[in-house]
Amino acid sequence: MSVLLRFAHAVDSLNDWVGRIVKWLILLVTLISAGNALWRYVLGESSNAGLEIQWYLFGAVFLLAAGDTLTHNGHVRIDFIYGRLSRRGQILIDIFGTLLFLLPFTALIIWFSWPMFMLAWQSGEMSPDAGGLLRWPVKLLIPVGFGLLALQGVAELIKHAAALCEEPSA
Amino acid sequence: MSMEWMAPAMFAGLVLVLLLGYPVAFSLAANGLIFGIIGLKLGFLDMSLMQALPERVLGIMANQTLLAIPFFTFMGLILERSGMAEDLLESVGQLFGAIRGGLAYAVIFVGALLAATTGVVAASVIAMGLISLPIMMRYGYDARLATGVIAASGTLAQIIPPSLVLIVLADQLGVSVGALYQGALVPSLVLTGLYVLFVWLVTMFKPAAAPALPLSARPLRGKALWGSALRAIVPPLLLIFLVLGTIFLGWATPTEGGAMGATGALLLAWARRRLPLALLKQALNTTTRLSSFVMFILIGSTVFSLIFRGVNGDLWVEHLLTGLPGGTLGFLIVVNLLVFVLAFFLDFFEIAFIIIPLLAPVAQKLGIDLIWFGVLIGINMQTSFMHPPFGFALFYLRSVAPKEIKTTDIYRGAIPFVLIQLVMVVLVIAFPDIASSAKPKALSSGVIEVPMEQDGYGDYYLPKEWR
Repeated sequence: MSVLLRFAHAVDSLNDWVGRIVKWLILLVTLISAGNALWRYVLGESSNAGLEIQWYLFGAVFLLAAGDTLTHNGHVRIDFIYGRLSRRGQILIDIFGTLLFLLPFTALIIWFSWPMFMLAWQSGEMSPDAGGLLRWPVKLLIPVGFGLLALQGVAELIKHAAALCEEPSA
Repeated sequence: MSMEWMAPAMFAGLVLVLLLGYPVAFSLAANGLIFGIIGLKLGFLDMSLMQALPERVLGIMANQTLLAIPFFTFMGLILERSGMAEDLLESVGQLFGAIRGGLAYAVIFVGALLAATTGVVAASVIAMGLISLPIMMRYGYDARLATGVIAASGTLAQIIPPSLVLIVLADQLGVSVGALYQGALVPSLVLTGLYVLFVWLVTMFKPAAAPALPLSARPLRGKALWGSALRAIVPPLLLIFLVLGTIFLGWATPTEGGAMGATGALLLAWARRRLPLALLKQALNTTTRLSSFVMFILIGSTVFSLIFRGVNGDLWVEHLLTGLPGGTLGFLIVVNLLVFVLAFFLDFFEIAFIIIPLLAPVAQKLGIDLIWFGVLIGINMQTSFMHPPFGFALFYLRSVAPKEIKTTDIYRGAIPFVLIQLVMVVLVIAFPDIASSAKPKALSSGVIEVPMEQDGYGDYYLPKEWR
């Protein structure tokens, strides 16, 4: 169990570290977007690279931070029933949901998105718009983001199982 | 075997799975996948449908409209802590304090002003709960009136442009955010007016519930009073111009307006030396997590609706809703009741991402103007913030209200304002012109469809017929 728990804590720190870094991209994308609007107003022209980098960055934020958000219970639930359960009941639902909902879903997306990335990487796919950006980085974000989320799912599973062992089965 | 049973079963499964309490995003996705597998096994669906999923995720990433969510959230969080709301409440409270119900009017005025600045409820409610509520209680306001007016005025942030609710609704209805903003302008001001009217009626029939401030509580007079009020009002007016002005003049997309507002809020906070690093980090953190959970709900609901449509769920819903007695009016009544009831359990992101995509095509088929429909739903969703016991505005208010205010007071205080919101829903249905977008000229000159859809991926995210 202790090996598993150590793995879980390593995943925790990994996603914590990722979360700490990507949050600064929010500030960056805010400034870029405001800059784009000013630029267009002042110079009367807009750059496709400037527009595309906005959604590249935002995609990076919400995909890469998904694991960290999971650790902090940041993905909203409908706690109408969940909120009234005992701690043990909540843990059981979380284990059930992680095994049957989260992990299959993330695995499927990783499985299907990897070929999409490989294709873009090998063909050097570019944005169809003039002056646009290379496509593979943004396609790589999908398997990486869902990978981080899946890893965190496994870590949560381990932590929950450990908590269940400690919790008296009353 | 026919697949007619699949859509209702899937819908029932959705309700069950959501009630379980596992995070909504993954429950939605898993429900879609489970029925996807069943559909594959029974030969109703094709594998290519599943393989389209990563493209859908990419389409969601490329969505320029939803990019406004982090900007407005970030802006709201910075404003919440930078003291702008506090300054406003104090000076406007002084300005209105001399008349009966003055503090309540000040709360409504400041709530509307903050609402026009940003699109986030928490910021206004928390600020007003911290500043105005203790003053109102000290000078003898009825606790129910005080808490109700604060929660309702804070909730105005979700209907007065630039509100997040309207952005998300515009995206899901496939209409322009600018047009929805224009449609919501008059109804949101009427709603604000109704709150004022309600407070006025209370001062008429129960003057003790909302007394004027005594002279001792109003140290500022004459020029000094107006000076302080002016100093407090100018920064938010600047921000309102920066965000709404640039959007309505067509200088910026709503997304860029949000980014400029956030930048402006940062500059204001920085100029007032109210932007310590810890605060900035905290705001970025909250914004990041909110963005992540919202976008993942959207991904989850996309998985769900991809499969749901694959088994003709859209046709089932359409059949169900167009067959209602009373035609269009029957549809509107049912939809509004549905949203009102669901708002007890779901927050507005969930309603917008799960329910609206099912309703929009039906509304369109019935010949309903989708912009007007969006405004109507937006007003109805106001109630989701005010519903006891789960309304977010009440929840935020409880977290900052003094202990001597009972939670039941907060709940009961909310009721008249929920009723006013429902009256507004009825008004918009009875007088559709107040929220109509039937001014194509004003619109085309006011809002330029700047490069929102420049990217080829913009359309992947929903099939054309659903946009």
